[in-house]
Amino acid sequence: MFRFDRRLILNFDWILLLTVLAVIGMGLVNLYSATTNGYTSSHIFIKQIYFYIIGLGLVVTIISVDYRVLISWNYVFYGVIILLLIMAKFFGNSAGGAQRWINLGFFKLQPSEPAKLAMVICLASYYYRKDTGKGFSLRELLAPGLLAGIPFVLILKQPDLGTALMIAMIAVSMTLFVKLRWSTLIIIITACMIIAPLGWKFALKPYQQQRIETFLHPEGDPLTTGYHIMQSKIAVGSGRAFGKGFLKGSQAHLDFLPEHHTDFAFSVWAEEFGFAGSVFFLACYTFMLLLGLNIALSARDKFGVLLAFGIVALIFWQAFINLAMILGLLPVVGMPLPLFSYGGSSLLTNMAGLGILFNIRMRRFMVQTT
Amino acid sequence: MKRITLKKFIPTSFRDKHKQDLNQRTVISRIHRMDESELQALKRRTNIVIFIILALFGILVIRLWFLQILRGSQYLKMSENNRIRLQWLPAPRGNILDRNGRPLIVNRPYFNVTWNKEDAPDPELIIRKMAAILKVNVSEILKRIREAADYPRHLPILLKEDIDWPTLVYIENHQYELPGIHIETLPSRKYNFGNLASHLVGYLGKINEKELKKFGDSYLPSDQIGKMGIERIYEKLLRGEKGRRYVEVDVHGFEQREIMEQDPLPGKDLKLTIDINLQQTAERALQGKAGAVVMMDVNSGRLLVLASSPPLQLQEFIGGISSKNWKAMLNDPLKPFINKTIQGQYPPGSTYKIITALAGLSEGAITPDTIFNCAGSMLLYGRRYHCWKRSGHGAVNLKKALRESCDIYFYHVGLKVGVNNLAKYAISMGLGRKTGINMPNEKPGLVPTKSWKIRRYKQEWQEGETMSVAIGQGFNLVTPLQICEMTATLANGGTRYRPQFVESVIDADGKVVRGFRAKIDGHALGSKHSLALIRAGLVAAVNEKHGTGSVAKMKSILVGGKTGTAQVVRLAQYRHLPAKDIPYKYRDHAWFTCFAPAGKPQIAITVLVEHGRHGGSEAAPIAKALLEQYFNGKAAKHPTDK
Repeated sequence: MFRFDRRLILNFDWILLLTVLAVIGMGLVNLYSATTNGYTSSHIFIKQIYFYIIGLGLVVTIISVDYRVLISWNYVFYGVIILLLIMAKFFGNSAGGAQRWINLGFFKLQPSEPAKLAMVICLASYYYRKDTGKGFSLRELLAPGLLAGIPFVLILKQPDLGTALMIAMIAVSMTLFVKLRWSTLIIIITACMIIAPLGWKFALKPYQQQRIETFLHPEGDPLTTGYHIMQSKIAVGSGRAFGKGFLKGSQAHLDFLPEHHTDFAFSVWAEEFGFAGSVFFLACYTFMLLLGLNIALSARDKFGVLLAFGIVALIFWQAFINLAMILGLLPVVGMPLPLFSYGGSSLLTNMAGLGILFNIRMRRFMVQTT
Repeated sequence: MKRITLKKFIPTSFRDKHKQDLNQRTVISRIHRMDESELQALKRRTNIVIFIILALFGILVIRLWFLQILRGSQYLKMSENNRIRLQWLPAPRGNILDRNGRPLIVNRPYFNVTWNKEDAPDPELIIRKMAAILKVNVSEILKRIREAADYPRHLPILLKEDIDWPTLVYIENHQYELPGIHIETLPSRKYNFGNLASHLVGYLGKINEKELKKFGDSYLPSDQIGKMGIERIYEKLLRGEKGRRYVEVDVHGFEQREIMEQDPLPGKDLKLTIDINLQQTAERALQGKAGAVVMMDVNSGRLLVLASSPPLQLQEFIGGISSKNWKAMLNDPLKPFINKTIQGQYPPGSTYKIITALAGLSEGAITPDTIFNCAGSMLLYGRRYHCWKRSGHGAVNLKKALRESCDIYFYHVGLKVGVNNLAKYAISMGLGRKTGINMPNEKPGLVPTKSWKIRRYKQEWQEGETMSVAIGQGFNLVTPLQICEMTATLANGGTRYRPQFVESVIDADGKVVRGFRAKIDGHALGSKHSLALIRAGLVAAVNEKHGTGSVAKMKSILVGGKTGTAQVVRLAQYRHLPAKDIPYKYRDHAWFTCFAPAGKPQIAITVLVEHGRHGGSEAAPIAKALLEQYFNGKAAKHPTDK
């Protein structure tokens, strides 16, 4: 039914694929170390491999369909995501006091993860259709604000501060990218400065407030709230220039490091491979993001540019917040490192995002032909 | 084909919007045209985005540099401290043996429960569990934790000492439910002979903060340390060196594997010069009394007996003495805390006549044949001075004076040589200063001189006081050890040996690390001949008719001895009473000091019985018992150990 066009293959971004595979490879190596009991690989590791395979299947599925269908399918996605978020609120499994998962039988879906991607698609589609030569005014931001606001509030109520902030970050990044009027920008910044202290007081739960306070004074109570940051810094720092070696990171293997296969996965990497390994990882990661931006540049339509940019922003912000948190530069929030941390929802979402990137790249010829 | 495909995938709304041109290429070119100007603007902005990404990741790299390169070794140390736990392995303390190698004090293991705060994820739960297991109040455990608040965090807190066997077994079996709880096996003291030589051997106690600060790293807050006597003096030798065990633990404090183990170095054994049998005899004889017995090898200074009564209750000190028992000991009128051999200071009484005789002979004030007449009393400056024998001794020479302890004779000698000369000889015989025995808090006693009195009382010396000093009353103060050393010096012909009680130090392999070496502290002033004359007088005192020390007379061995009665008070109201009617605390102290065998002296024995009234009747029998045991071979046999 679908006639194969050789140009699709010619325009496939093989370098990006290799870079992604490199990052995924490092993630798997790290996950093995973080979860092994010293003799065999754990079921977590095996599970993650399945997720990678499913993810690759997802990528193949995505690239076989022109990404531009998303322009009008976006609200369908959006509606499904909102529905899932509401379901999670009422029927979800709770983990640590937060309703985040919907049990699908074979795996527990975290609807907040695909919500991030849905946000990107939605906004890209919205801004693509809005022609704004002079930048957006405040009133024109009402619609995208509402678009982002609904999942933001739903996720914040789960409560999942990290993901909610992520939704906001994507919305802000993309809006800034399509250009705002200066007056609009100034009004928004002023409003934020007024609302922020009120938000601290009324919107944040006590434990969230404490996390931020802990971040500011981690040594104050190293055995309870400052524990994560402290142990993470010890893990990273003790890796020194070349690391303790694969499987030899004592912080992770003796459980001093919390969440060492999910949010704090990179601490394990930094402990075992040191500064050299960490910089190598960051270089690969940056290269991957820059390739993503290159796709945005090479896209021949505004939707493609916005979509590619949004996906890069999504991956970049998650990675930056996660790494900054591990290195003690930001407070602890629940935020995985895309393609590296363990977790099916996050992995599949980010793989889907990458699939869209490949898709945009492959179809750049379609406009060129005119 | 492609056209159909796109139509299929693009929903109707989209199709409607662009229905005038459904041709795919047209649609796309239209999109393209719509975007063109904005597209260029977006792409320009992408450069800013690249810059932002590089800048923020650059910050991460700088942070990594800071953590891993600049602070790397610091964090490495923290991660090591996280996972590597140092366990101390207690070293068995050295045994204390008597001169024949019989164990006086040995070790028995006892078990302490300690708690490592750092290893316990849920302190409150542990505290509650442990209170139930140890059968103590939660508040008691909390008190101990509070007391340990100042100690470094990683050091274990002692929760309970000396737990019984069932408790030990229970804790061992439930270790995995009790993270952070450890059993510490400590060697504790076992006293084979009860409180024997208690003042000498002393006791162990939990180290206090002051000691911990002083000795630094080598002790832990839960450690025992010698608090008194040999246990304290020879702490360094006895305690050995702790072993170390490094283990890797996980975040819950469970051991993962052992990294390194270094065996403890056992403490060294201490072989004393003390003879258990003689010591037992002495202490049994002193039972119920306050007093002291010192027995010394006159040719080396080895102490065979060093007994102070009443003894300390050593068992009470294991695991910490209760304040009630402590107070009871403090308030005991017989003062068990005072080691009377070196800390009890008494007037020497007639034992001091040895000094007066030596001073008289050496200064040429008398010859052995000089005779003074004793009429029972004498007048000096209008005051009457009595002999103990009111009827008088008649004509008295040196031998008779020593034999019958005639006070009048020694008044004359004292007056002739003067108080300063008496002091000179007293000091040369070891009185008036510490003997130098290796024990803390020894008292020096007192040998008065004229200048001393002016310093002390701002008064001139009175001749009458010289007479009191000459017979061992007045200002003089001596310890039983000093009198024994004086007797030994007299017996061996004038060599003053340092009293010592350690024969040898033996390491764990049985090798003698340090042997006994006699130390000479000085020599008696005066000729050997003078000393021989005095010894003859003392032999007469024990063996001849009218001798004051005849109780100590032995069949086979010739003993020389001198009795003494030290006045406690000179209250006239009690003077006329029969001795037994005088209240205990006003009764005179009884002295007896002797040496044997007279021909070639080996040992000196000094006995003091506080408020024992008469040296001849109270103190001399104790010396006799020791003499019998020593010379008649009873010391060689070992009666059943207690």
